[in-house]
Amino acid sequence: MRYFLISLLLLTGTVQATEVLIEFKDPQQQALFKELTQELRCPKCQNQNIADSNAVVAVDMRNKTLELVQQGQNKQQVLEYMKSRYGDFVHYLPPVNKFTLILWVLPVVMVVGLMLLLLFRRRVQAHSGAAPELSSTQPPELEQQLDQLIEQYRRKS
Amino acid sequence: MRKLAFFIPFALFISLSVFLFHGLFSNPMERESSVLNQPLPAFALPDLQQPEKIWTPDSIKGKPMLLNVWGTWCVTCNAELAYLTELREQGVMIVGLYYQQPADAAFGEVFNLAALQQEVALKLEQQGNPYQWNILDKDRTLIFDLGVTGAPETFLIDAQGVIRYHHIGDINPQVWQQKLAAAYQSLQE
Repeated sequence: MRYFLISLLLLTGTVQATEVLIEFKDPQQQALFKELTQELRCPKCQNQNIADSNAVVAVDMRNKTLELVQQGQNKQQVLEYMKSRYGDFVHYLPPVNKFTLILWVLPVVMVVGLMLLLLFRRRVQAHSGAAPELSSTQPPELEQQLDQLIEQYRRKS
Repeated sequence: MRKLAFFIPFALFISLSVFLFHGLFSNPMERESSVLNQPLPAFALPDLQQPEKIWTPDSIKGKPMLLNVWGTWCVTCNAELAYLTELREQGVMIVGLYYQQPADAAFGEVFNLAALQQEVALKLEQQGNPYQWNILDKDRTLIFDLGVTGAPETFLIDAQGVIRYHHIGDINPQVWQQKLAAAYQSLQE
């Protein structure tokens, strides 16, 4: 029985994984390929990088990236190649231009604006002066006024 | 001051609401093609039905036309065949760029040209044939260079072989009237 089980185990060894394994001669190219496939965005899918997606166009882009990387092209060259076909959309870091400027400017404007608003409110409060605090050092007239007011309200109710 | 303090968050809320509301009706697939107003990229691809015939940018230009990316596997493409055929009968020149999906080796699939030719001929016989001819892009090289993300997609190409318009999705009477008809007519002159 034991031998039977062991031979069964051996049999399973012949089942091979069908995932594509890519071998690189150059570890730098391997790192670049990994980086690029994670930064390039699948144009067919909503928000998936090409490393993640198995859409036909993502597979084609992956293969093209591999080909270009193995030709020795650098990151910028590969990105340009993809962008000239699929637009700025395919890179997860959009360039700064008149259409995307708002992405960079808006957060800064919001933070600065909020800080200014807070500062402004503090100054206004300081100037208008908060309600004076009552303490034992206050003149006794105030105490009398208060007593009168309390008396008035009591009569009303 | 108090009015302003009330108004600023209110204005922010309204503008955010308008922005998000607008987003409900926008199409995330729609974006401008990066090959617009550029000549067709270089290619040399065989005719689908007569593979010995090779099409190049030079051999297909001369008349304004629609380059329609399609495949028999694509349901929406099949749905637009009938209307495209109507357009052909009205004199619109339409050329097919056949989007061949990769054969999945893991499932023992192999590319079979004869079977594909038969399949395409049958489909066009049943649904109508809008195409003057079909270009077979087996490895999707031209499709890649055109920045095609799927099928159907249609490019409007002028007589000089320059890409003038790009449409993602099917072509129906509404799309034709609203988006493509005017552009196509202007190329005729």
